[in-house]
Amino acid sequence: MKSTLVTAFILIIVLLASAAPGFAHHSSAMFDQTKTVTLEGVVKKWELTNPHSWLWVDVKGKDGKVVTWGFEAEGPSTLARAGIRPSDFKEGTKLTITGNPMRNGDPAAIWLNAVRASDGKKFDPRAGFAVK
Amino acid sequence: MRFDGVILRAATLLTLPILMFSCATTEAPGGPPPAVSSTRTREQNIELGRQHKTAEDLYKALKEEAKGGKKLEWNGLPDFSGVYSRPLDRGFNFDIDQPKDVATSAKLTPEFQVKLTKRLDDLKKGIEWDPISTCAPPGVPRWLTEPFLREFIVTPNQTWLINEMVNDIRRVYTDGRDHLPVEDRLPIPNGDTIGFWDGPRLVMHTNQLKAGIYQRGNPDYTDQVETVEIWKKDDDRTMGVDVWVYDPPSLVEAWYAHHTYIKLTDPPRIRYWDCGENPNNAVFQTKDGTTQFKDLNFSDEKKKGK
Repeated sequence: MKSTLVTAFILIIVLLASAAPGFAHHSSAMFDQTKTVTLEGVVKKWELTNPHSWLWVDVKGKDGKVVTWGFEAEGPSTLARAGIRPSDFKEGTKLTITGNPMRNGDPAAIWLNAVRASDGKKFDPRAGFAVK
Repeated sequence: MRFDGVILRAATLLTLPILMFSCATTEAPGGPPPAVSSTRTREQNIELGRQHKTAEDLYKALKEEAKGGKKLEWNGLPDFSGVYSRPLDRGFNFDIDQPKDVATSAKLTPEFQVKLTKRLDDLKKGIEWDPISTCAPPGVPRWLTEPFLREFIVTPNQTWLINEMVNDIRRVYTDGRDHLPVEDRLPIPNGDTIGFWDGPRLVMHTNQLKAGIYQRGNPDYTDQVETVEIWKKDDDRTMGVDVWVYDPPSLVEAWYAHHTYIKLTDPPRIRYWDCGENPNNAVFQTKDGTTQFKDLNFSDEKKKGK
């Protein structure tokens, strides 16, 4: 059950802005790319869609309340090039995920990287833009 | 309109595999004949653009240099097979070879320099709106800059330049036809492209284009923009294209850039790109000119209720 799987904490780290552009279809202006948020949670839903995919992650706060966060990633073929597969994030998968949060405080972020708890495998969606 | 789009997409899906199968590239023994014209340096290409005041002039000069070009035969097609992508290690500006300390290597008219300066100032404030956020195709010449998967299908009478993004196909007519009559031209995203083969090089002229931006953080162009492109394999894994952009309202002189696309060793399947398949990707432009999601929603119950 989700409620038994989730141990969540939120770390917000203010970083210097990097020059890395958002390789997304629409602008990433709604995200604050000077900040990152790292969350522990459990996968609720994995939507592989164009032009952006979304990973829904249930995160339990200190007050015990569960909030569903959305992590925006690249489209399916770019994710495939990054070695990220549809089967990687079944419902209930525990992970730690980092992203650039929304400027307006909504629970969503650009997905920068994630680590799956079961095997420590790392997932970096933007690695899919590497040409090899 | 939505229904028309569905029919068009279905027709594309049905015809593409047939065409791809029928267009399997088989290079003739010894490959295509060498190009008549010689390979130029970047500086020479920039100068070549300056020497010709319009894209049409440059295209005609290249065709004359190639003695009209030579029509391809089925048994002598260049090998453009494979799935390619544009490397992003140097960013995705339109001219990735421009000096790092300049906003653009384009020689912009004052009006368009002001527009670019504002765009870059806004970016520093976190304000940005991309005109293709509404699922419009990137359009040419921006088409060249996108970092997604590419395929190039060569036949004697047409070459298709395919970008995975929004299932985007540029048709290059190499059967000797001319552009549409001036009075019948309308601005469309990929314009109208004619071309000829100069040995292994595909020389193309595109007009009838629609206004847009070269890429985020890059200048604007108008619907007077036209391009001349020369496509060729630089080596077995590298597809290269020289492009000259002419757009009198925005450019003082032709803007030259070179783009490369690398053949992937283990490419994924290219799937249909439905830009509107996920409601959470819908955005709108705010009053201050930036981008915001329309209605982010991570609740299945709410989605069902809509």
